[in-house]
Amino acid sequence: MQKILSVIKREYIQIIRTKGFIIGTILGPVLMAAFIVVPVVVQFIAVDQQEKIGIIDETGEIFMGLEQKLDQKLKDGTRRYLLINYPLKDDMEALKEELNQKVLRKEFSAYIFIPENISGDGEAEFVSEHVSDFDKRGNFNRALSSIVIEKRLKGEGLDPKRISEYMRPVALVTKKVTKRGVERDAGGTFIISYFLVLVLYMTLLFYGQIILRGVIEEKSSRVVEIVLSSLKPFQLMAGKIVGIAAVGFTQYAIWALFGLAASRYSKKLLTGFFPAAASFPMPSIPSYILVYFVLFFILGYFLYATMYAAIGSMVNSEKEAQQLIMPIVMFLVVPILLMMFVIKSPDSTFSVVLSMIPFFAPILMLLRICILLPPFPQIATSIILLILSIVLMIWLVAKIYRVGILMYGKRPSFGEILKWVRYS
Amino acid sequence: MNALEIEDITKRFGDFYAVKDLSLKIPQKMIYGLLGPNGAGKTTTIRMVMNIIIPDKGSIRVLDRKIDEEMKERIGYLPEDRGLYPKMKVGEHLFFLSELKGLRGKEARKRIDFWLERFDLTDWKLKKVEELSKGMQQKIQFIATVIHDPELIILDEPFSGLDPVNTKLLKDIMLEMKKNGRTIIFSTHRMEQVEMICDNICLINKAEKVLEGNLSLIKKQYGKNSVVLDYEGDASFVQGLPEIEKIDDYGKSMEIKLKEQTDPQELLNALVGKIRITKFEVMEPTLNAIFIDKVGERDAKDTVSY
Repeated sequence: MQKILSVIKREYIQIIRTKGFIIGTILGPVLMAAFIVVPVVVQFIAVDQQEKIGIIDETGEIFMGLEQKLDQKLKDGTRRYLLINYPLKDDMEALKEELNQKVLRKEFSAYIFIPENISGDGEAEFVSEHVSDFDKRGNFNRALSSIVIEKRLKGEGLDPKRISEYMRPVALVTKKVTKRGVERDAGGTFIISYFLVLVLYMTLLFYGQIILRGVIEEKSSRVVEIVLSSLKPFQLMAGKIVGIAAVGFTQYAIWALFGLAASRYSKKLLTGFFPAAASFPMPSIPSYILVYFVLFFILGYFLYATMYAAIGSMVNSEKEAQQLIMPIVMFLVVPILLMMFVIKSPDSTFSVVLSMIPFFAPILMLLRICILLPPFPQIATSIILLILSIVLMIWLVAKIYRVGILMYGKRPSFGEILKWVRYS
Repeated sequence: MNALEIEDITKRFGDFYAVKDLSLKIPQKMIYGLLGPNGAGKTTTIRMVMNIIIPDKGSIRVLDRKIDEEMKERIGYLPEDRGLYPKMKVGEHLFFLSELKGLRGKEARKRIDFWLERFDLTDWKLKKVEELSKGMQQKIQFIATVIHDPELIILDEPFSGLDPVNTKLLKDIMLEMKKNGRTIIFSTHRMEQVEMICDNICLINKAEKVLEGNLSLIKKQYGKNSVVLDYEGDASFVQGLPEIEKIDDYGKSMEIKLKEQTDPQELLNALVGKIRITKFEVMEPTLNAIFIDKVGERDAKDTVSY
């Protein structure tokens, strides 16, 4: 036991010290925050410039309406869109060409052509260098549409205000029913499930790779037989796996602290800059989900870590390992691919069965727990099956590892590996 | 009590016998040489002693017990395939390996400092292993092998990769350990290393024991009818002389085995005037000659590679 502790300590200290760990631990939450914050910030920043937009209005009736509708203001109180009405010319093509040039010279960020028969089946044109600005295009489209619709309704003698009241969509509030009652859910569940499952998937993949690399390093540096002169192969393997699990927990703990700080202060910070963010509900994670998350991380980790250790012991280099880890990576990728299906119908037989299969259970059962908290017997069954397969896997891998770790040269065939399992 | 008793062990890999029906008794407090060409079965034998490979049949007793994990703390083992964690610092690496041998805290640190001093590596204590030369790493590995002052020390090719200065240092330490009552078993394919320090030897060839016993007794058995001759000139005629049973010619030097009852003086007479003789010594046969005699010219070829 003392010896396993020494191995655990060594693994832990060596990995905690690497640049990769330090960078990954700090960069992880920073990247995560960046994914959420940057798009919001960018949107607010990007608007801060007035845009000149040319309008060719063949009807002569729409420009006024547009100017009224598109009255968004910049921070300094000036209009966001400065609309410039172009007098019509006989040669419409020449006029368009003139405006094309202005757009190319960046005098205008865009111009809009409104044909005479816009109320009929005419098509308006939005001409710009950057046609992928959905936000701007959407604004114009909405403004133009509502003006034209009003015009049409008035033409039929209808009152646009009353019509729009009739057309008001029905409000649909999403509520989630659990054993503890009914709560309002504005998509938070989905975001949390998605987030937790992705974190689990990435850490399982990441720590598996660390184990793989560690075992290969021990083999290729030829240190393994020196270490094995004082302990059993199984002790070395167990120490390595537990030591790296401890690294994983350290990383999670640091991230959790980040997260706690973020959930406490980020909203204040965010709403301080952007008052609009106040309306966005900050998702909170129920504690039972966190408990299951940690549990499934541990179980998933041990299942995958032993498999990675076995493969590390069979090969001579990381390059050789890449082909062999494909099936393992597939086991992790499949549940991610099935995620959308399980989110849509978490209670279907297919989802239930999938979440019982040990290789998929860590990700899919956790996902189902996040979404609807399945009946406890289902959760218990998947956990028991997972534990059984971990025990089986450790038994199997210990035999492969014991032989493989001292084998150099040619990669063993499947038949040879079977022999190791049978005879050792 | 013997330090090591091997009885009738066999290990097969598929159709290939790595070790076949090998029995050995190694008494305590001596230096024992396990000799043989590359691939003879030395490393497999040692790995079976260390319980790394399980023999197909036969039994092994170390220090009068079946080997188990607790036993391993009384043994120091330097494997043939050896290395260190490249990213660890020398000091902490040795500390880690000492911990695995059951040493703790202060005591471990004290011994590490002692041995680093002894091998002139104190300045490297805080350097990473990967910054060390191969020879330095070898010395670190040796320190790790003996740091817990084991009763039995098993060294698989301990001298490979060491320069002459460090080879001598290692030999001196091995002799000193023997004086302190430790038993050392080491394997090599370099005969001259064995002749200088071994008390007993065992020759292995093609998985089987060829010769075993006390080195000086073995030599005496072969009698004092060998001549080592250093010369200049064309010595090809020597082959045809009637006194000669066998020659190992190395170009500037040859080892000659005379026929029984032959007076070495007759050989000297036959040589004088034909070649320039710089050395003529009558002696016991070298281990090389014995080995070649035992396993035959062809098998011995990769062994006697100077």
